[in-house]
Amino acid sequence: MNSIIVFIKNLKKTLFPNLFNTIITLLITLFISVVCFNTFAWLIFKANWKVVISNLPLYAFGSFPLNEQWRPASWIISLLLLSIFTICGPEWKWLRKNLLILWVGTIPLGLYLLYGGLGLSPIMSRHWGGLTLTILLTVFSSLLSLPFGIVLALCRQSSLPLIQKLSSIYIDVMRAIPLIAVLFFGQLLIPLFLPVGIEIDRVWRAIFAFTLFVSAYIAEDIRGGLQSIPNTQIEAANSIGLNQYQIIQFILIPQALRIALPALTNQSIGLFQNTSLMAILGLVELLGVGRSILANPEFIGQYIEVYVWLACVYWIVCTIMAVLARHLEQRMTINQANF
Amino acid sequence: MKINQKIFLQFGICIIFFGLIGILINNLTINLIRTGLGFNFSWLFKPASFALAEHPLPYTSSDSYAWALFIGWLNSLKVIVSSLILATLLGTLIGFARTGKNSLLGLISAGYITTIRQTPLLLQLMFWYFVGFLGLKDNMFIQIKNIFNISNQGIEFSGLIFSSEFLALLLGLSIFTSAYIAEVIRGGILSVGRGQWEAFRSLGLSERKGLIRIILPQALPAIIPGLTSQYLNLAKNSTLAIAVGYSDIYAINDTIINQTGRAIECFIILLVSFLLLNLLITNTMEIINRLILKSRKNI
Repeated sequence: MNSIIVFIKNLKKTLFPNLFNTIITLLITLFISVVCFNTFAWLIFKANWKVVISNLPLYAFGSFPLNEQWRPASWIISLLLLSIFTICGPEWKWLRKNLLILWVGTIPLGLYLLYGGLGLSPIMSRHWGGLTLTILLTVFSSLLSLPFGIVLALCRQSSLPLIQKLSSIYIDVMRAIPLIAVLFFGQLLIPLFLPVGIEIDRVWRAIFAFTLFVSAYIAEDIRGGLQSIPNTQIEAANSIGLNQYQIIQFILIPQALRIALPALTNQSIGLFQNTSLMAILGLVELLGVGRSILANPEFIGQYIEVYVWLACVYWIVCTIMAVLARHLEQRMTINQANF
Repeated sequence: MKINQKIFLQFGICIIFFGLIGILINNLTINLIRTGLGFNFSWLFKPASFALAEHPLPYTSSDSYAWALFIGWLNSLKVIVSSLILATLLGTLIGFARTGKNSLLGLISAGYITTIRQTPLLLQLMFWYFVGFLGLKDNMFIQIKNIFNISNQGIEFSGLIFSSEFLALLLGLSIFTSAYIAEVIRGGILSVGRGQWEAFRSLGLSERKGLIRIILPQALPAIIPGLTSQYLNLAKNSTLAIAVGYSDIYAINDTIINQTGRAIECFIILLVSFLLLNLLITNTMEIINRLILKSRKNI
């Protein structure tokens, strides 16, 4: 009873302290209720969700052959189960230790399920699409750009002037140009730079271009981590007789990665959103599927339904990634406290 | 010994690096010869022979490619500067609302920020263009005494015409960037000590006056660097104009590549134009930063 009175008093203090604020609060309440009412009325009565419901497999898998769609589906479901398990699974020690191996194991599993071979019928990458392709682009680009980014960051911190100059030029130029230009010219120029006869398909060209772009940003985040490691750490490592490579491997990189972790997870969430740019450049990922469905005469003009649905999907996946990232950060700080 | 080793290492890396570059350039020249394009910039002065819907300076399709590129650069600059101003105003308001006392207002702005930040910009741009502007019917004019017209052709305001492509881009970029700017502003305001708030309250200043005259000037040094990087992001994001059909510098490069196939040259042009834009933004912000520091010294 007492707590309710305190709550109401607090509410009164924050919402209705004077006339001006009271008017604002009332106006906002009115605004929210009108917006909510209209949105609900639209969601339930006006919107025609057929464009979403009848195309659900298309959003998830693109033009993947119908009788093989269990393959990307099982990959996505295994990723989802693993995320749920990581966030709220039981605290068994042996399992927690092997969780990382499980996560790493999803990558060859995904490649195997998508490409086929070894007992599954092979499927060309141009049939990949939808959410599967979006996740694939995100996972592989972030995985490849992490080591590349670490190397770039170390080079930029290096005492050798030539290496330091080269990597700074690369990082600064990459950070100055827009992503869509990198992706577009990646599609156009990568074939030009390869010897005659060797070709890379569109998906891997996109992954390569994303890697080149994101690694410059990751390098800057890790450099921030490297710079915030106190000099005493290096002196201590020197005094116990570690050589330069051991210092980098055991002292600098683990600490820099832990400090840069929030920034790195932000980068991968950003990367997930930015894979939508491939929709303009001819890959049929999640947004590309939306565009091709809207071009279908049967569903013409139903922009709002499709865009609202796509926004929800992106929002949900981003939120899952953010929750996973927070979980990881918490575990890292606990580990540090144990030391 | 140590120095020799270092020089040796650099030398080795140099050889590997330039060897790689050499192989790549060799491949490139072979491929360029094979496709019969070569590498030169003389095509820049040939007539472009494509029309532009939007041009701040006179332009016809018989003008040169170079002039078309310059018009595209101006178009980019136009949308960047106008959405920069709008995003800053909107972001500041939302940042204030987020830090303010009114919890309902805080809740709404937090919701706004997360929704905008968790969905891709490209999706938002398409939403504003296809739903926001093209969704309006052409006969559904909203008119206010012939001064202000809204239709799916855009907005006409006392003789000035803004196309719907420009407006969709302006709206999308401003709303997207404002969510990030709001977080920068909030960070800046939170970086000012609580004592400052208590001090101006005890002096009898009103909340609004205190925020603007006491808190904000102290928060500015923390805000400006974050703001600069958001402006640079805005400039880079403006290249998504191609999704709504606004002819900015990237869209024009894209058209030229489709016409002439000169990808390498266009890549270099795009790189240079973006370096110019970035220099423009960073230098302007540097001047503003210096002005702020100077004005603080005078006090």
